[in-house]
Amino acid sequence: MTEKQEIDRAAAAKKPVIELKGICKTFDRRVVLDDVSLAIEEGKTTVIIGPSGCGKTVLIKHLICLLRPTAGEIYFRDQRIDHLSERALGAIRTHYGFLFQAGALFDSQTVFQNIVFPIRQHRRETDMSELEQIVKAKLAMVGLDGFQNYYPANLSGGQRKRVALARAIAMDPEIILYDEPTTGLDPIRSGIINELVLKLQRELSVTSVVVTHDMNSAYKIADRIIMLHNGMIVADGDADTIRNHPHPTVQQFIHGEVSDEDLAVLRMSGKGAQSQFSPQDFDPRSP
Amino acid sequence: MLAGKWSHAEAMIRDIGRFARFNWRVTSTSFLACSHRSTYPLVWTQMNIIGVRSVPVIMVTGAFVGMTLAIQAYDQLATMGFEERLGVLINISVVKELGPVLAAVMLAGRIGGALTAELGTMNVTEQIDAIRSMGTDPVRYLVVPRVLACLLLTPLLIIYADLMGVVGGAMVSLLHFGINGRAYWDYSANSVELWDVAIGVIKGFFFGAAIAIVSCYKGFTCREGSQGVGQACTEAFVASFTLILAIDLAIAFVAKAVYLTFWPMRGLV
Repeated sequence: MTEKQEIDRAAAAKKPVIELKGICKTFDRRVVLDDVSLAIEEGKTTVIIGPSGCGKTVLIKHLICLLRPTAGEIYFRDQRIDHLSERALGAIRTHYGFLFQAGALFDSQTVFQNIVFPIRQHRRETDMSELEQIVKAKLAMVGLDGFQNYYPANLSGGQRKRVALARAIAMDPEIILYDEPTTGLDPIRSGIINELVLKLQRELSVTSVVVTHDMNSAYKIADRIIMLHNGMIVADGDADTIRNHPHPTVQQFIHGEVSDEDLAVLRMSGKGAQSQFSPQDFDPRSP
Repeated sequence: MLAGKWSHAEAMIRDIGRFARFNWRVTSTSFLACSHRSTYPLVWTQMNIIGVRSVPVIMVTGAFVGMTLAIQAYDQLATMGFEERLGVLINISVVKELGPVLAAVMLAGRIGGALTAELGTMNVTEQIDAIRSMGTDPVRYLVVPRVLACLLLTPLLIIYADLMGVVGGAMVSLLHFGINGRAYWDYSANSVELWDVAIGVIKGFFFGAAIAIVSCYKGFTCREGSQGVGQACTEAFVASFTLILAIDLAIAFVAKAVYLTFWPMRGLV
């Protein structure tokens, strides 16, 4: 390979696979995203952290255009996609896999039917034995081979997320978006999901974007961490950069500290001005 | 106060616009989907859920309508000595008006509520977003099969309601009131025309489409939570019911104008 080809390849590798430019999103005049610009690098795991209600889910849904921005532009491989029709977006979305917060499995269909859904929608192959092989391979990847005939209602929360992950990777996507993959799971199940994210990254070389407020998970899987606060990006860097970030909001979030303002609000919402709580009641470090 | 009313009106106009856009999407996607083989199994499944399982309730509705009409109308006709013409009144009312409308109202309750609840639950549990994220148009996958199934099967269900209405009315008239059977059927056959039956069945296409589109729209736009789904179901039924009556009135106007253009006015008795 010539030096020029190597430079071109390196440049292509650095090119963002998804790019958001000046994204604003409002719901009923409430600003949720405020001028967010972001480039997602190919083959890397980008983790978006931030407190509940800061706009993480809204942001990740913009990456696949499930939500359209009020202002700003969205690009997928240099192609602007935010103004495309739903029909045109269908083809773009086959490059993505999306793991929803609660799995979003079709509850009237079995695990098998859930996983073959995207394949049946987009590929002509309807040979049953081939479909069975694909489903078996995907379920084996998430450690659930043998659960093909189960209904989502018969699965635990962690199993449902793993099936949802199997469905997300059914079409061998280039990009996998995870919305709070470990929320509501015990530490062991969370660990399994984290390992799965790393495994998929390793084996399929996919680009991953993970939304979470679980810092253990973020440190474990992230190549890059972005912190969102009040609809704006307040920190962007690798795990060490975030750990040592000077912004007080970042430090407060990663250490799980309750601010004096939050405590004041809690006291105010108590019985009148005379609160029965003391600040120590809400301090996570207090015994 | 004025600002509050304006914002309410603004929200209503926006909702009407959204519904019009949804209608357009469903119509255009339905035409496209008809040429895709993959749509047919989905329509078939919905036909089974919407149509086949509605047959008993529709037949019961039709039978009760016919029987009640016979009981209500007998005395008035009997005092004038026209009791043998009871079949004319019952059968025209059933096939032209009451059969189609009450069958459609029953369907709005049975199917409309179920469609809104199903799609509303899918909406709040992000299943519709999941379909979109996998590159599939949820209107094509979820709405079009339901609309087509309703559109095609409501007229058939109305025929069932008509049939049972006629049978129910005849049973009460002949068995309970002892009206002469031959006279009853002769008068009915001479007065009820194919046109009357056809108008009732044609209404079914419009009623079916209205029930399915309104119910799917309410499911797609319902607010989060169980209260949101419940409210969407109520709104879907009220909107479907109102729309059925409005369509019925519109078709009555048009059908009458068409009939009078081609055929002279006829008497009921």
